[in-house]
Amino acid sequence: MSEAAVAVAAEGLEKRFGPVVALAGLDFEVPAGSVLAVLGPNGAGKSTLLRLLAGLARPSAGRVRIGADEGRDRRRMRGRVGYVGHATFLYPNLTVRENLVFAARLHGVARPGARADALLAEQGLAALADRPAGALSRGQAQRLAIARGLVHDPPVVLLDEPFTGLDPASADRLAERVRALAAAGRAVVLVTHDLAQAAALGDRALLLVRGRVAFDSRGTRPSAAALEAAWREVGAA
Amino acid sequence: MGSTARAAGDAAVDRLAARLRAPTGWLLAGLTGAWLVAVVRAPEDAVQGVIQKILYVHPPLAFAAYLGFGLTAVGGALYLWRGDDAWDRLARSAAEVGVLFCTLMLVTGPIWARGTWGRWWSWDLRLTLTLLLWFVYLAYLLLRSFTEGSERAARFAAVYGIAGLAVIPLNYFAIDLAGGRAIHPENLGSGSLGAGMGLPFLMGVLATLAAFVHLLVRRVEVEGLRTRLAERLAAERDRAGHEEGGRWAM
Amino acid sequence: MSVVLAVLWKDLVTEWRRRDRVVAMAVFAFLVVLVLHFALPARDADEARRLAPGLLWVAYVFAGLLGLDRAFAIELENEALSGLALAPADRGWLFLGKAAANFVILGAVQAATAVVFALAFGVELAPVAGGLALVVALGSFGLCAVGTLFGAIAVRTRYREVMLPLLLLPLLVPVLLGAVSATAGLLETGTLRWPSIQLLLVTDAVFGIVSFLSFEYVLDE
Repeated sequence: MSEAAVAVAAEGLEKRFGPVVALAGLDFEVPAGSVLAVLGPNGAGKSTLLRLLAGLARPSAGRVRIGADEGRDRRRMRGRVGYVGHATFLYPNLTVRENLVFAARLHGVARPGARADALLAEQGLAALADRPAGALSRGQAQRLAIARGLVHDPPVVLLDEPFTGLDPASADRLAERVRALAAAGRAVVLVTHDLAQAAALGDRALLLVRGRVAFDSRGTRPSAAALEAAWREVGAA
Repeated sequence: MGSTARAAGDAAVDRLAARLRAPTGWLLAGLTGAWLVAVVRAPEDAVQGVIQKILYVHPPLAFAAYLGFGLTAVGGALYLWRGDDAWDRLARSAAEVGVLFCTLMLVTGPIWARGTWGRWWSWDLRLTLTLLLWFVYLAYLLLRSFTEGSERAARFAAVYGIAGLAVIPLNYFAIDLAGGRAIHPENLGSGSLGAGMGLPFLMGVLATLAAFVHLLVRRVEVEGLRTRLAERLAAERDRAGHEEGGRWAM
Repeated sequence: MSVVLAVLWKDLVTEWRRRDRVVAMAVFAFLVVLVLHFALPARDADEARRLAPGLLWVAYVFAGLLGLDRAFAIELENEALSGLALAPADRGWLFLGKAAANFVILGAVQAATAVVFALAFGVELAPVAGGLALVVALGSFGLCAVGTLFGAIAVRTRYREVMLPLLLLPLLVPVLLGAVSATAGLLETGTLRWPSIQLLLVTDAVFGIVSFLSFEYVLDE
């Protein structure tokens, strides 16, 4: 995690599924150490955007840049991005620790066991290390999913609606976590429905509607008021 | 390659298809006419009788059926490599036209068999090979129907097309191993075409290929129309959503 | 390479803890043998020996289809398949790990089924056990190669359980014919029929390579 200038950028990013345009030419940059909040109604293309950034799908046009990497090699891109999606990607029959060790090996981490132990300690899951992942509560599974996403220490972290279904205490802890990730120099892209969280955590906010940017707070931190106004405008347009 | 470039590429394919439609149609009409004349004037086979004239129909259908699948597989491979929708259009169209010719082959085959050997079906090499090809075609088309998401369907179908093509030579050797070389009439190479049969046979091959190409061109055109219609409908829905002014779902 | 071992380990450990796939496959295979025994009773030892190779492989293919379907069904929970797709490794390695696990699990079921089959049909398989193991291994390799590739495809389609056999069976003809022929050769003369083995080897190579290379495109979203 030494590259200070690492960022993730979208250049003319487009994604089509047959006749449906999910994303229509997005351009933005996320500097290292900052949080980009992405908001929008259902079907706006937020999850599609994250999947493109994560290297899970091939863009129909345009490209994703990770640092200086032009994004031609999606495999290498995946190695530099940590993705925490709606689902946890956890295997219920493996223990908490085994899930992390597996993810570490999948991502080519040098000493998977040690890394898993370190992450468990960091996320406060050490006590649950030998519990089957299927027996975890929602909050615990969420923390494990985040640990899994960070297993290869990626400079870019993508979070898809991580606050959904969390109680206020867990949500606060998660917000802390997000701030810590950015403070440690990573570029974070956070998709959320929660305007308040977006305002609180985001250094910049994008409002996506039907694959296009309807509002961009640009260089300034988004205020909750501005976001609400933009949201209402979009709803009434 | 931006969306305008993609639209231009698609439009180019549409224009090409539109331009080819008439010439291939006329070529088909001409060749079919010539072929019919040649078939009627061809001598009747001493042993097999008039049913032998299926020779001018059945093997040419085979060329088209296998050509069709070849195009399907190659189109799919190019689609995977380049990501260009036009290749997928070709693959899908070739599959739909090819399956038609394959089905016709499976219909004329037994008719010929019944006429010459008295049995409707035999598990000989070529018939069995074609039957397997037919099943692969069917599986390909069903895969496209049952996969949700046209991009994913195109990708999956392309992979299946490649596997399906790879299995054709394997099937040939497998059926041969199982003793399927028994009954089918000898290969043309061994000079079994009697005098006066060469021309109608050649005409048959050319006419069938012309039919294949013409149908392919029209199918590609239809696919283009379908895509443009779907895009227009999607855009309409977009606009309607904006004009309605309802609150977005959170 | 460690990715291959990781996936292989994960599948085998999961199966060891759940045991649902291997039990379902085994029971299903035994039932197929039972049904075949009633459907095609062999009147004497010679007829049994003649029917045996084909019937045995029918049971194997059905068990295999069931196992291959389950192999990816377990990846649907928590979208674990996407988790695999995120790996920065060449997806061919993921394929290899999964196919190897399928191969091992199917192999265990096949061994048990062979015993049951020998009992049900009164066929002596023990004398040719070595050769039979080789033939079964070669056949299963091909089956697991394309089966794993199309298992990953079928799991993302509607009517997944129907889609997999639909896709696989037309492709399995060379595997089936080669394996049945080789098995028949073993039962009749106790020797390996080289042409059949050759067919199996070529088919395995083709299927293996095509599946390994294509898996890259199957895991995309």
